[in-house]
Amino acid sequence: MRLNEKKRGQASIEREFGVYRTAISIAAALAVTFVLIFAISDDPSGDLVAFLFGPFQSLYRFSNVIEKVIPLLFTGTAVCLMFRGGQANLSAESAFYIGALTSSAVATIDGIPAPLHFILCALAGGAVGAFVCWISAFLGVKFGVMVLVASMMVNYIVQLCGQYILIYHMADPTAGYVASLPYAASAKLPIMFAGTKVHYGLVIGILVIVAVSVVMHRTRLGFNLRTIGDNPNFARLCGINIGGTAIAIQLLGGAIAGLGGCCETLGMNTRFLYERLTNHGWDGIMLAVIAGNDPRKLPLAALFLAYIRTGADILNRTSNMPVEVVKIIQAVIIAMICAKGLLSRLEHKAVIKNAAKDELTAKTEAAK
Amino acid sequence: MIKSILSYEFLSSAIRVTVPIILSALAALVQRKANILCICNESIMLFAALGGVVASAWTNSLFLGFIGGIVAGELIALIFSYFVLKLDTDPMLIALALNIFGSGGTIFLLFLITGDKGSSISLASKVFPIINIPLIEDIPVLGKILSGHNLMVYVSAATLVVVAWLVNKSRLGLRIRAVGENPEAAKSVGIKVSRYRLIAMLIGGFIASLGGMYMSMGYLTCFSRDMVMGRSFIGIAAQNLGAGNPWITAIASLVFGVFQAVANTAQSFRMPAHLANMVPYIVTLLGLIAMGVYAGRNEKNRIKKTVEANVQNKSNAEKYDRRNTNSNE
Repeated sequence: MRLNEKKRGQASIEREFGVYRTAISIAAALAVTFVLIFAISDDPSGDLVAFLFGPFQSLYRFSNVIEKVIPLLFTGTAVCLMFRGGQANLSAESAFYIGALTSSAVATIDGIPAPLHFILCALAGGAVGAFVCWISAFLGVKFGVMVLVASMMVNYIVQLCGQYILIYHMADPTAGYVASLPYAASAKLPIMFAGTKVHYGLVIGILVIVAVSVVMHRTRLGFNLRTIGDNPNFARLCGINIGGTAIAIQLLGGAIAGLGGCCETLGMNTRFLYERLTNHGWDGIMLAVIAGNDPRKLPLAALFLAYIRTGADILNRTSNMPVEVVKIIQAVIIAMICAKGLLSRLEHKAVIKNAAKDELTAKTEAAK
Repeated sequence: MIKSILSYEFLSSAIRVTVPIILSALAALVQRKANILCICNESIMLFAALGGVVASAWTNSLFLGFIGGIVAGELIALIFSYFVLKLDTDPMLIALALNIFGSGGTIFLLFLITGDKGSSISLASKVFPIINIPLIEDIPVLGKILSGHNLMVYVSAATLVVVAWLVNKSRLGLRIRAVGENPEAAKSVGIKVSRYRLIAMLIGGFIASLGGMYMSMGYLTCFSRDMVMGRSFIGIAAQNLGAGNPWITAIASLVFGVFQAVANTAQSFRMPAHLANMVPYIVTLLGLIAMGVYAGRNEKNRIKKTVEANVQNKSNAEKYDRRNTNSNE
């Protein structure tokens, strides 16, 4: 009993310092942004206000934030799932892209009734996304290939393959730019709120998050993947099927990312027009890091990233600040949150203090 | 097409495209010896490529441009080392962060300096000179293949020799390997683990920076966004195939380079560029698979041998026991 309480005390201290670290990293990232704005901008104070509060200035801009949240929910969940299970698969990026491409190919077919058409698109996108993430998972399990390197190779292959299909087999010559044929109306995801572009992908994304957190915390697969992520040797000694679990979660992660690509392109666009990887997979990694690989914390992290991205978009339009500033912010946040050594001395002190206090109470109790 | 693949020009173009792969593979090798998996060589190369171009354009001097590129690349290597060695950060995550930073940061800087997000074509940057080797130049076949390359081609060959010596023969290399293979043991004999890891990272960063600068000041004559295109990952794969041996690593890099050159040649024969460009990445995956199969078979053989040796030992021991008991009787 005593031991339990002590343990809970330490865990809560660790959690507390996790929150501090996140706060510090976000503060550091914002500080970097301010420095960049002041160094570059012609009108620093105006730009700063535009960056920080711009997304709130009109309903349309705020709806932009929500639109940007939707794809992040999918890729963030996919990355959470794979990283929590210790699988460093970076193919969520290309699964998103190829998922969007495949579902677009299905969406340009005419004459399928409305709800069925979207479901078919989603199935196609999810299946191809799952396949893309499966490649490096399979190579890793079967041949001991480094999943990280293999999945990067897969990303380049899929991007080139997608570009080839788009340009040589899907392009609409009458469009005037590189894009597929227009989607059939029956395939489009309907808009949720009139006057904005917020579509029902939001609902699907939230359902996916709920489903994945149930899988991760309430099922055997979830227990297995968390055990493998924490300590693969322990998992092996327990007789957990590491290879099977690794492949299962990467298939699932790829399917979610592919579904995300499907929802994004069928909700936001009327044709397929991604000429290169969309960066949503990398965003997913950042979100997974902020959320500590816990899908329940993802929506907040996604909202934050979508907010600064909208702010950066506004800056990009109104001043001379390139939108790439968001990538710099992302890098700073990931680096700082992952820096376990940050505040480690303070954390250590707090843990010791807590332990000393526990010892003291134990002694006084014993004296009684 | 086959005719043009069999020509001298093809071999010399294969050498040209191998340079960035071999340099990033050697960088990964040195880092690997210190047991650091640094996947942010991509970002080091990008920053070195941009730094070299910008510094050489501003100072109008190739040498200062070279220094600028090295400084830019080493800066990323230093940030990585600081986070990994001092702040106890997961090397994979900090490297991913740095790769995001490398892609975004170079475009950001490029835009600020030139006003263009695509390439640095408006900067009058320097290029490493073409070297003709006096005697070899005149040999009929070899001359065309080996001579008349960019300076960096010869530098990368020299780097290979230096790395092979450094890792296997030098005192520094021994310490780096000691730190990588068994940090506790190294510590116990007074080798400062963090210091040698840092040194290995900086050497790796230097070599990767050379590769990055070759991209923008030799292979092409300007910086363009995301120009490294995963070459450092191909380098890591080559390093994996070489299993820590610099010479095999170089051969593996050359194989990947040859396929890159095949892809380049295929494009000029009306094969769609996108399909042709997939070849090097697919070959890299195949190489990794081959390595896995080979390692798996070795592992099986090793287990088999161990089992056999155990059986042999046991029967020997039994014989010995029997003899002992016999003599006792």
